[in-house]
Amino acid sequence: MPYQIGVTIRAPVAADRVPALRAWLAEIARKGLAESPFDFAHVRGLHFARFCLLEETADLEGRAIPASLVFMSEVDAPLRRHLADLVDVAGEGVDDAFRHCTGYPGAGARRRHKIAWLRRHQVSASAFYVNTVGRGLAQIRQEAALREALEDCLDRREWTGRTATEARGELRAHVAQRADLAWALRPPAPPSVVFRAREALHMVAVPAALVLLLPVLLPVLGVWAVMLRLAERGDQPVTERPTLPHLEELSRYEDFVTQNPFAVVGFVKPGLLRKLTFRAVLFAIDYAVRHVYDHASLAGITTIHFARWVPLDGWRRMTFASDYDGAVEAYNDDFINIVWWGLNAAFGNGVGYPPTRWLLWGGAQLEQQFKNTLRCHQVAVPAWYTAYPSLSAQNIENNARIREGLRGDMSPADAQRWLSLL
Amino acid sequence: MATRLDLANIQGLLARGYSGLPYARFTVFAIPGPAAGHALVSWLLPRVSTAASPAGDSAAHIAFSAAGMRQLGLPGDVIAGFAAEFAEGMVTPDRSRFLGDVEGSSPSSWDWGAPQRPSADGLVLLYAATPEILDRRQAELASCLTAAGIREVTVLDTLELGDREPFGFHDGISQPVIRGLPMAGRSTRTVPEGEFILGYPNAYGQLTDRPLLPASADPRHLLPRDPAGSGAADLGRDGCYLVLRQLEQDVGGFWGYAAEATRRPDGSCDPQARIALAAKMVGRWPSGAPLVKAPGADDPRLKDDNDFGYHDTDPDGFACPLGAHVRRMNPRDALDASTGSEQSLAVTDRHRLLRRGRAYGQHAAGTTAENDHAIRQPPDSPGPRGGTGLHFICLVASLSRQFEFVQHTWLNNPNFNGLYDDTDPLTGNRHPRGGTFSVPGQPVRRRHRGLPQFVRVRGGAYFFLPSLSALRYLEQLPAETVSEPAATATAR
Repeated sequence: MPYQIGVTIRAPVAADRVPALRAWLAEIARKGLAESPFDFAHVRGLHFARFCLLEETADLEGRAIPASLVFMSEVDAPLRRHLADLVDVAGEGVDDAFRHCTGYPGAGARRRHKIAWLRRHQVSASAFYVNTVGRGLAQIRQEAALREALEDCLDRREWTGRTATEARGELRAHVAQRADLAWALRPPAPPSVVFRAREALHMVAVPAALVLLLPVLLPVLGVWAVMLRLAERGDQPVTERPTLPHLEELSRYEDFVTQNPFAVVGFVKPGLLRKLTFRAVLFAIDYAVRHVYDHASLAGITTIHFARWVPLDGWRRMTFASDYDGAVEAYNDDFINIVWWGLNAAFGNGVGYPPTRWLLWGGAQLEQQFKNTLRCHQVAVPAWYTAYPSLSAQNIENNARIREGLRGDMSPADAQRWLSLL
Repeated sequence: MATRLDLANIQGLLARGYSGLPYARFTVFAIPGPAAGHALVSWLLPRVSTAASPAGDSAAHIAFSAAGMRQLGLPGDVIAGFAAEFAEGMVTPDRSRFLGDVEGSSPSSWDWGAPQRPSADGLVLLYAATPEILDRRQAELASCLTAAGIREVTVLDTLELGDREPFGFHDGISQPVIRGLPMAGRSTRTVPEGEFILGYPNAYGQLTDRPLLPASADPRHLLPRDPAGSGAADLGRDGCYLVLRQLEQDVGGFWGYAAEATRRPDGSCDPQARIALAAKMVGRWPSGAPLVKAPGADDPRLKDDNDFGYHDTDPDGFACPLGAHVRRMNPRDALDASTGSEQSLAVTDRHRLLRRGRAYGQHAAGTTAENDHAIRQPPDSPGPRGGTGLHFICLVASLSRQFEFVQHTWLNNPNFNGLYDDTDPLTGNRHPRGGTFSVPGQPVRRRHRGLPQFVRVRGGAYFFLPSLSALRYLEQLPAETVSEPAATATAR
């Protein structure tokens, strides 16, 4: 099975092209991305994708940052295949989108020039969270079909009087009989050896390097903590509330299917201390999502399919984007109730975030200020694609466990537990 | 921050559900202009019951929508200080989609409250001990409205308060208890004042956003000052949001479905199985007995039992299905179970509603003997004529975290708690998905598909139930103030 990558492509839009781009996005929002001209439903291994417009702004020192069009996709590796699909399968739509951007080769350009352009305009994420590393689109779809087949089988037959072991046996026999489900009796293939070796090396090398650097790091950490606390004392409570027109624009594109796209963009607090802190925290997040939170939960949140942290404009700005289940209010509540410390560590370095204490405390714990600032910094995502609009992350994990439970022997109690997954 | 409740400034509906005043009528009205609105407020102010008033033979309450606040002369920038959901109102297209008010529940089919209908500017709730007293109070109100030139949008009559809702189930058993109210003393589990009353610390120990005015806007010092110490005049303190939704219940459809789905193989009706399926949908038996405590059969001795959880006793939903109505309305410790019961309960407590609804239409059940209705009514008989249902009312401090969250994330969410296509079997909408009801069982679950929709929304609006001091403030607003529409108003 492939591993998953988060692709971010961003290109500037000249001021006079912004109105046309806005109009185009509104039109695409109505049409969706699944079919022509994007045909994302046929882009291989594509889980989610989006286009959004970052409006022109000025940084904290007043320097202008031009408007830009951002494309993001969450897709099965390899990258090369995905970029090729963007031009070969989704080419008409991709041309339509990026023709608003400065320097796009144009619809008539050669394929390799377009691919090279897309590649050049990639922005790397500092961290990319995948709900379950290695679970590809094909597997998600197959396992959803497996569950439906088993549910249908349960609906059609009479089960009273059976023991759990008998019922499980009958379901296994049903799967074994069906040629189209035979794959389900084997475990999913893991990602490639190369990928796993690279990840294993990273998993060991980072702590090893930290241990070696400890004598240097410890005193630095002490000084850093004091400096940070001093800097935090200058932070002001959030008094800004999102305006009604902004809320209306956001909600226009929310809550159509099981998942929603989320994107916030904000400035990084000025000064070296904050920039370094942000980098260090994202380094830690990158490590954590690759080696600790790599299966069905991001520090206790089970509703996020993908998430990424992408620095923009030379670390002057940061964006966080995710695909999550349910409504934004529930999502924010999860942030506040479960991973407030993680949110604080990262976004505490952002301008307009509720004041933190020692980086981890305060911040998201200030519910109202936190929700207000997230909504204020949220960017509308007019054009968004999901490959499985009715499956929650919990559903996908449950489907995988159903498949897993088809193999091997089980005690009667375990068989009953497995049957409860259906 | 002061946490002692100012009972004399709080409308009494926050403190009590008026079980001793079984007759009620709710009047929704449209205000032609500030002067008319002020006249109504002046007339009603001495009649409004507070949380400190002794229980009398009647009670009156008043609430305003954002449109109504505008008509009273409250400036748009002040209205923008309320919750965005309130300022926008219940019937924007995006909110309708969010709340599940689509298809048969779409505002375009509502009897009142829809955008093209007369504006639901305000609401007067009258409660009385006898029908005669209620009629008298209503007649007084009607003449006041007429005198002021205020138009009745709809008058919502209610049934005498019984202990059954129209589907025939004992209702209103589990209510959050507000800390700081006199009756909270007896309760083991209370919810902080600020979850229901603005201007007090909420479950996060913070003050929920509410309109704060510069002190200069309140020269007569009618309003309390911001307890956070900003010096601002606090228009929200001691008030709360009031959600009113007219929910029409298809009683015949509900019991007819339960009968059809439980027919014996020979086609005959199985009354016991029918009630059992209905109880699975609700999560309690008709008497009110919770399924987790009475899994096999109704046990009227447990009719008011509210002392149970799901985490330890019924994690798989074998007794009470994961998608049952009461397990969604109040999941207790069923969600985020990995964090433990206590943490899970604490999270659930941030999404509680103080329910004050009253049934309307015909007494479908509850006045007859135990389960009598359910057994006697032939499965194919139509529901009572003229519409039967619930004038759903809930009081909250946060529309988004409480009412809208429960409505969207718990009731109408087909993926609630790991499910795939199950909205609330009782109240959920079925569009575009959600028509499945899964009943966990051993060895395997039973799945009911193609569930009809049993509840339709017929009207609704978001109101604000102001404090007495806020009413006094609204009453003296300049009558000539022209306020801009809320859609263009911006937050501070």
